[in-house]
Amino acid sequence: MTKSKKEIIGIRSVSKIYNLGDTVVKALDNVSLSIFENDFISIMGPSGSGKSTLMNIIGCLDVPTNGSYKFNNEKISEMKDSQLADIRNQKIGFVFQTFNLLPKLNALQNVEVPLVYSNLKRLKRTEKAKEALNIVGLSDRINHKPNELSGGQRQRVAIARALVNKPSIILADEPTGNLDSKSGTDILNFFDDLHKAGNTLIIVTHEQSVAKRAKRRIEIFDGKITLDE
Amino acid sequence: MNRIINYLIDVVRGVLFYFSQTKLRTALTLLGITVGVSSIIAIMTVLATFEKSTDQVVADVRTNVFYITRENPIEVSFGNNNKWARNKPKITWSEYEQLKRSLKLTKNMSAVVSEEPSDRTFSVGKKEFKSRLQSFWAADGDMLSLYKYDIVDGRNIQNIDIQNRSRVAIIGSAIKKELFPFVNPVGKEIKIDNIPFEIIALTDEKGEIAGQSMDSMVGIPISTYLKYFGGKWNRTDLQLVLESDSVENIDNATDEAIGVFRAIRKIPPGQPNNFYIATNDQLMDTFGEFTSYLKTFIGLITGISLLVAGIGIANIMLVSLNERIKEIGIRKALGARRSDIFMQFLIEAILISILGGLVGIVLGLSFGNIVALFLEQDPVIPFEWVFYSLQICASMGIIFGLYPAIRASRLNPIDSMRYD
Repeated sequence: MTKSKKEIIGIRSVSKIYNLGDTVVKALDNVSLSIFENDFISIMGPSGSGKSTLMNIIGCLDVPTNGSYKFNNEKISEMKDSQLADIRNQKIGFVFQTFNLLPKLNALQNVEVPLVYSNLKRLKRTEKAKEALNIVGLSDRINHKPNELSGGQRQRVAIARALVNKPSIILADEPTGNLDSKSGTDILNFFDDLHKAGNTLIIVTHEQSVAKRAKRRIEIFDGKITLDE
Repeated sequence: MNRIINYLIDVVRGVLFYFSQTKLRTALTLLGITVGVSSIIAIMTVLATFEKSTDQVVADVRTNVFYITRENPIEVSFGNNNKWARNKPKITWSEYEQLKRSLKLTKNMSAVVSEEPSDRTFSVGKKEFKSRLQSFWAADGDMLSLYKYDIVDGRNIQNIDIQNRSRVAIIGSAIKKELFPFVNPVGKEIKIDNIPFEIIALTDEKGEIAGQSMDSMVGIPISTYLKYFGGKWNRTDLQLVLESDSVENIDNATDEAIGVFRAIRKIPPGQPNNFYIATNDQLMDTFGEFTSYLKTFIGLITGISLLVAGIGIANIMLVSLNERIKEIGIRKALGARRSDIFMQFLIEAILISILGGLVGIVLGLSFGNIVALFLEQDPVIPFEWVFYSLQICASMGIIFGLYPAIRASRLNPIDSMRYD
């Protein structure tokens, strides 16, 4: 962690508080975190620890109750809904545990989805989507629907979709959680490659073996960061 | 701009796929709109064929002609409660003769009894003319020239025929075609309700007005009619056909006729006419008024059916929304704005209703033109109504797609992605 690296994410004293009737839940409690270019981070914590909330805030799916969040020096915490959508579209690549592919679209169309919401011409879209599928090694499966692909292949389509807009960070939530160990290892090896290629990666997981791959490990408990090394 | 083109392509692709997955449901949703739109189009097509053929005939009939009748032949007024106007007496022969003596601006005038359609039988030997829409008229004077019939063969009814109450008849080309397919009918005998008449003339072919053949007609002298069919002279309700000396003078001639006829009937000033007087133009206006009432009525009914169809669209969009909560969540996470999701749903609703509308237009045009063909009219396409229908469909899509689209756009991506 050299300070000369560019800070992509700057979280300062962020709290997220849920009001559930008469109980108040502090999902995040005064958390501060900096994430730099080409970091490879794992975030660990038991369920209910606040790691999903942290991920949602990093991923601009949710906004903090208090504190400030800067993404590439832009103040996310003060942005409108449509601006958040544009940040998600352009700057963040999501990889989910359950893949979250659209079942009615084929691999190529699934990868094109983020491009639909950017101002790209159709031909350019297809070209970029094919390129991304090529990176994950699925050039021969572009016309397959998700239900015609194996779990590992589906997750690779999802990674291609995350990569297609060349995001600043890739945010993976339990990316190997629904995969057998062989496919899981493949995906993790692929993440290593992405890191070496200069990408910034954040993996949320509860498995030690997955977390060990990362170069920087963060643990969270009761809404507070308990380890950052 | 690319963003909008992207939507359209994606949405159309999505909608088509969605339709193919839920064929029955989509078909049922479309059905409501289809029924509504096809009924508008069918009725407008039929009306358009009527209007077209009527316009042609009106152009054929002289414009310096006007009529005095007991009732408006195409009555559309509602609740005319004036006592004077309600108890309209028949127009009698003596009134006709008084009028004829007094009018200065009217060049020609004749009394006509017209049975349209007539239930009299026209027969030759044992062969009977079969048509539900035959007309039978009797006139005092030159009925043929008023309607611009030309005599193909034979002679017109003359004063001597009227004086002698001769049993002579003029027949239209449709009667000739059926009863005298191979011979010249002039000089032959035709029986009207089993009373023999000598055919003195055959007229040229005139075609149809509002689906009614102008050629299925038989005409005789009015005196003969009153003797054999009409009963007492002063009991028969006459229609008076008047002709001013020029088109420019028709208003004056009409005013004069009204004034004289009111005087004959001793109608006090301030009371409405207890007879109906109209020029050909006014008759056409009345016909136009009639069709516009019909259009309003049809509009009301289709409006209700389209409202029901629209609720169906709203319902199907809400069902579709519930089925796609997860998809919406994923799309939002991947960068779809609220407005993107909103537009996607709205365009989908518009597409569904326009698709239903297009099917309705095709069905309506087919049905309307089948009716037109059945009435032996030329097929027409009421373009303005096709255009209105598409507009109505698009607005229905917008109105009834609005609420589902707003709901879809407000879904929270985090919760939606977890939804199963």
